[in-house]
Amino acid sequence: MTIVYALILAALAYYAWYDILGPTFTLAFRPLISGFFTGLIVGDVKMGLLIGGTLELMALGVYTYGGATIPEYSVGAILGTYFGKTSGFEVGIALAIPAALLLTQVDILNRFLNFIFVHRADAYAEKGDDKGFDNMMVRYSHMIWGFSRAIPVFLAVAFGEPVVKGITAFFDTYPWINKGISVAGGILPALGFAMLLKIMPIQKYPAFLLIGFVMFAYLKMPLVGIAIAGVAITLVYQQLKLRTAEG
Amino acid sequence: MATNETKITRADLMKSFWRYVWLFQCGWNYERMQSVGYAYSILPILKKTRPGEEEFKEAFLTNLNFFNTNPVVGAPLIIGAHIALEEAGASLETTEGLKVGLMGPLAGVGDTLVWALYNSIIFSIGASMALSGSALGPILVLLLVFFPYLAVRYWQFTWAYKQGVNLVTQLGGGIIAKITEFATIVGLIVIGGFAPSIVNLKVAWKPAIAATVQGEAVSQVIDIQAQLDAILPYMLPVLVTALAYWLLKKGWSPVAVLALLFVIGFIGGAIGLFG
Repeated sequence: MTIVYALILAALAYYAWYDILGPTFTLAFRPLISGFFTGLIVGDVKMGLLIGGTLELMALGVYTYGGATIPEYSVGAILGTYFGKTSGFEVGIALAIPAALLLTQVDILNRFLNFIFVHRADAYAEKGDDKGFDNMMVRYSHMIWGFSRAIPVFLAVAFGEPVVKGITAFFDTYPWINKGISVAGGILPALGFAMLLKIMPIQKYPAFLLIGFVMFAYLKMPLVGIAIAGVAITLVYQQLKLRTAEG
Repeated sequence: MATNETKITRADLMKSFWRYVWLFQCGWNYERMQSVGYAYSILPILKKTRPGEEEFKEAFLTNLNFFNTNPVVGAPLIIGAHIALEEAGASLETTEGLKVGLMGPLAGVGDTLVWALYNSIIFSIGASMALSGSALGPILVLLLVFFPYLAVRYWQFTWAYKQGVNLVTQLGGGIIAKITEFATIVGLIVIGGFAPSIVNLKVAWKPAIAATVQGEAVSQVIDIQAQLDAILPYMLPVLVTALAYWLLKKGWSPVAVLALLFVIGFIGGAIGLFG
């Protein structure tokens, strides 16, 4: 049975990356979605929601801007949900974060190795062989990406059980580890926001960041309300700017 | 300059669109990023507009040049406009100019609109619902991804094709700058509220100070978190976000910042300083 789960979850990890490379129908590479799918597969939706939701909040705003490597949260959510089902939420989340971090190395290697395709493509173009090129795209162009995620998931699920049992016992002996991990989980989303702020010109528009903060921290507005107010404020700002420009 | 116009049918258009949908970023690599996916999407069009063997090879090779933009808002627009130029018999210099000219600005607009703004909102709502135990959270996100993403890509692609050559002058006329500004300002307002609502850090340590008042021993417990809240609500989340931002600006990689935040949080939580 473990081997069946290992195969299905490896396929999910492959699909999660293929989806963002191509169709973008489900965004399964986001931990909320891959955690939910894993929960459905292993028959513990509640665990999938908890692990996926927790990782999602940590990863909010963390995307590969311009191809930068980010922690592999989808693999984290898949393994975290799978092991969380048998060993509890704390163990699941404690495994998910290191797994996500470990696989960042794999992502860099993968993006590097993909140069094979662009050089094969040059060769096809020089021959004018569009059929050969199409064949390479359809069959192989997603393989390095997919297998670099699927194989670690397969190995972890197929052979990880004894290791995870040991880890569970360890956590029970030292409860302060869980305390540390839960606090760390609370501050990790700061990275996502910092990455967002880095690609945005805050020096040019510092006031707007403060307006958002005041609406939340002092006026206690819900986030959707802040977003609507944000659209309104921006519309007014652009109209006023246009009027000034027209003199 | 080729003057022979080739009729692009609706079937040709859709063939190119679905090629883009199925495989656009497959084969992404550090060297030329989305180049192979771009070539794959435009190839059926090139085959029609450049029937000669040599001109096809040249166009094929040229479209394997470096390309990178936002795959959702950006790429479909550029491919659509490119097809219109191909149909009008434009030279390779013109089509490459279109691609290079639009991919940078659209990457900025697309990343802000799609990843920073739209996704941050739907995913934070979905994750909050999931954490309260509701499967509706991820289901809502799936609906808000599947239909809008497909619609916005199809709409851009067909709109850009219809606009064709006009588009380049239109986009040059400040529309991109205006959309970018809009997305940026709404994004900053939302992040200003989002960051403190999601980043969670509180001081749990409440030191007790023993003192002797009028000969009697009393113990005074100091609630540090309450003191901090009185100065500025969400002070620690703001500080930790500022720290992460500053480190990224100094050139730290996201993974290094993540590791540092993890260590700070882990040690602080383990010794009971934070909770």
